[in-house]
Amino acid sequence: MLEHALPAIEALLDPIRLAALFVGMAVGMIFGMLPGLGGVAAVSILLPFIYFLDDYTGLAMLLGAISVVYTADTITSVLIGAPGSPASAPTAIEGHALAKQGKAATALGVGFLASMVGGLLGALILLFAIPVAGPIVLALGTPELFMFAIVGLFFASSMLGKNLSRGLAAAFLGIFLGSVGPASADADFRFTFDQVYLLDGLSLTIVALGLFGVAEVISMLASGGGISRGEVPVTHWKDGFLEFLKHRWLIFRCALIGVFGGFVPAVGASASTWVAYGHAIRSSKEPKYFGKGDIRGVAAAEGANNATIISDLIPTLLFSVPGGPAAAIFLGALFSFGYYPGPRMITQNPELMFLIVWSVALASVIGAIICFLIAPALARLTKLPFALIAAPLVLVMVMGAYQSTSTMGDMFMLLLMGLIGWAMKHADWPRAPALVGFVLADPMEQYFWLSNQIHGWSWLMRPGVLIIIGLMLAPFIYRLWKSRFEKEGKVQDVEREKGLGSPVNLALSLTVLSLFTWAFFESLTYSPDSRLLPWLALIPGIPVTCFLLIRGYLCRERDKDLMPQSIKELPYLLSLGLYVFAIFIVGFTIATPPFVAWMLFSCAKMRIHTGLLYGTVICTLSFLLFSILRNGAPDGIFGPLI
Amino acid sequence: MFSCSLKKMAILSTAIFALEVSAGGHFKGKTIEIVVPFSPGGATFVSAKFLEPYLEKHLPGNPDINVVDRPGGGSILGANWFEKNAKSDGTTILFTTSSTANPFVLGKKGVAYRLADYRVAYSHPFSAVAYTSPDTGIKSASDIKKSKQPLVYGGISASASDLPGLLSFEVLGLDVKSVLGFKGRGPARLAFAQGETNLDYQFTPVYLTQVVPSVAEGKAVPLWTGGAVDANGNLRKRDPIAPDLPSVYEVYKNLYGKDPSGIEWDAFEAIASVTYAYGLTAYMHPDTPQDVLDAFAKAAAAINADPEFQKESKKVTNGARLSAGPATEKAVKSALSASPEVKKYLRELLSTKFGVKF
Repeated sequence: MLEHALPAIEALLDPIRLAALFVGMAVGMIFGMLPGLGGVAAVSILLPFIYFLDDYTGLAMLLGAISVVYTADTITSVLIGAPGSPASAPTAIEGHALAKQGKAATALGVGFLASMVGGLLGALILLFAIPVAGPIVLALGTPELFMFAIVGLFFASSMLGKNLSRGLAAAFLGIFLGSVGPASADADFRFTFDQVYLLDGLSLTIVALGLFGVAEVISMLASGGGISRGEVPVTHWKDGFLEFLKHRWLIFRCALIGVFGGFVPAVGASASTWVAYGHAIRSSKEPKYFGKGDIRGVAAAEGANNATIISDLIPTLLFSVPGGPAAAIFLGALFSFGYYPGPRMITQNPELMFLIVWSVALASVIGAIICFLIAPALARLTKLPFALIAAPLVLVMVMGAYQSTSTMGDMFMLLLMGLIGWAMKHADWPRAPALVGFVLADPMEQYFWLSNQIHGWSWLMRPGVLIIIGLMLAPFIYRLWKSRFEKEGKVQDVEREKGLGSPVNLALSLTVLSLFTWAFFESLTYSPDSRLLPWLALIPGIPVTCFLLIRGYLCRERDKDLMPQSIKELPYLLSLGLYVFAIFIVGFTIATPPFVAWMLFSCAKMRIHTGLLYGTVICTLSFLLFSILRNGAPDGIFGPLI
Repeated sequence: MFSCSLKKMAILSTAIFALEVSAGGHFKGKTIEIVVPFSPGGATFVSAKFLEPYLEKHLPGNPDINVVDRPGGGSILGANWFEKNAKSDGTTILFTTSSTANPFVLGKKGVAYRLADYRVAYSHPFSAVAYTSPDTGIKSASDIKKSKQPLVYGGISASASDLPGLLSFEVLGLDVKSVLGFKGRGPARLAFAQGETNLDYQFTPVYLTQVVPSVAEGKAVPLWTGGAVDANGNLRKRDPIAPDLPSVYEVYKNLYGKDPSGIEWDAFEAIASVTYAYGLTAYMHPDTPQDVLDAFAKAAAAINADPEFQKESKKVTNGARLSAGPATEKAVKSALSASPEVKKYLRELLSTKFGVKF
């Protein structure tokens, strides 16, 4: 088989193919950096063009894009704090905190290198797909897949943060959001208000953008035209390399977690990133720095997410079962070129297999190098007033959200999730557990249901399940054993309870409590099987939010002045809502220029000439991008009439 | 006199309309938007892209064809979008499967599209093959009632593309445990390979590439196909794509020694026709003029005769052909307008046996 390695690299080094690979990489990097537009958007944009190319060239272009998305999104996550794609949320948490401490270069360097390692490891595993990966994928029946989702949730518990009740409330909110939409086998459609839009459940992109991105953009707009901090210096890469070497084994382990995540359809990319992040926290001797800027968080997440998107190709190539959404489009492309992946793929088309491996490997390495080259220039952009950066970001996020179903529902859902994310940020609810709960809710329910349907309860005794339970509990028991000897320092109660009585926290707790209570009564109308998942969130969620509300109410006097920032940001939030409503009424094309003008002149205080020029450029680019994305911009009710 | 001039005007306007239409029948310089209500990369999207160059080549005026994905709501969102936005000159096409047709036939909530009123531009079969695991001791379709293991079928959702498969079990009187809730036919096939299920249906292109190798290795036993529509509009013929395998009709006849009949068979025939025989259908606005449809029927015939199409389709679907024209349209529409008894039977079966709520 190895004799095909050289012809494949020769085939790839054909100038046109190489050019296509680079075009793919360029698109992948741009979409990786744009928050909300990730691998799926990059690959679907390239898809129409590959039909003009020959098979190897077209596939190389797609692979170029797939391989660099999770390298480039590090830049956005670190510099801006809005995750470039859902699976880089941990990078946004840790990396952005590091950037605020002036260590952006370290965070970026480690992120790029870890991504590269993840990509290379993924490519290596692809090479051994048949002998190694095939049996593993076949050994993972539905009970094992369910256990994998549980492992993810278990690791997520380490992200709950310093205040347990707020962390738990956030996680339950996430699981609840994940239960919206079809129950297993479409028996019930939960919490859909008879809206067709909700029949498929919520989109991961929109939830991630809303929870993390919108809140960041609003605080950027609110910070106005002033420069609230100096330039983020990205000059010395040395620290990045040193940290990379220091954490090489962590990165390697996390890349392995990522590769494994790729084997598992559905639990895939986002979950494995969180498992890796949780692993980094758990294996650390001083986990208290996590959440405040710990380089190990960046190393873990970036090592894992790139490995996952590459090894997503393994079930795709072996069994025609795509490991993730980007891999699904890649599979479609393979079909179009007349390749039908399956067990015989490697013996029938060995050269194609090697072409895929080489493309991924080459793109991973060159992608990292390019990121190193462009990051300093991009970091200089952060010297600009925040509101200037926020303006195009808002448009990109609107565009990214609109790719889910291309209906107005996407816009309203982005706004709603943004509102929740903003409130969570100001009420000091950690947002990571919410996203993890959301991501894992669906596979958890699906595989639990399937396992019970197929095996009854006997699946609990399957060897694979027992091994996973053992692996999960071993470190826990070890820790329990150790903690008998050393008393852990207790976090100060004051620190833990800070802000509990703030009006934002009171409002959020009350809202979530009402939502949960309503949902509980609503869920009584569902069949017992369909109640299981929502009840997993609601039954513990109601007392926890109740507790938060009561504790908060008792501290309301102490904390009543704790919200100047959220009051300051409120008008910006309302303006964003107004913008979405304007899109609904008159359409994107008409609503956008006035909104951009407001952002540039009112928020960023730009001068007329430069503001007009800049505004025209970003509006034009956004219209252009919408037309490349093929579905067109939202029209609005009266838009077509005007 | 007044009525006379009205009549004249009517004739005149019809003439102008006809003129416009005949010019519109040729799509020179026009773009035809083909809306696929599923994600790019899915089977429907891939099929639409597969047909795109041939349509561009053989439609009069060589229009530009643009395949657009509008996923969501299990294809209901995209179909609803079509209902609201489709143009009536044949430049907007909804290209979809039984996942759009079944909720319409069943009258599910949220369906705003009037599928049975749409015109049918062309259609492509999307036939499926049933197969089982050798562990059941089954050697061929005639052994199906002698399984050594309980039969377990893995599917997605009773009211979508699994419906004809589940109905075929009803017709044949099989005792099958149907585990629904997989996220796609791929994961269901994986569960078959892992031995968690032992009865499966796969659509032909996937069957040919994924299951045929397993058959050769002795890991799967092919059983039957949904069948093909004969000259009388009945679903009785063998599927030309897999001529070695009996149709469900034949399997029944072989097992019970008589023709299948009754409400189970009527329901199966209606649902299986839109799922298999007319599995991928291109719909147009109800007011689309006839000569636009004629142009598509002509193009479909030309595509079927195109040697390049024949060569490529041999590879992908074992040589499936497009169908178009009045006979196709009639068949699709009659399958979509199931009788009230069939609808009632389906709704009752789905709600009692599979817990689907309406």
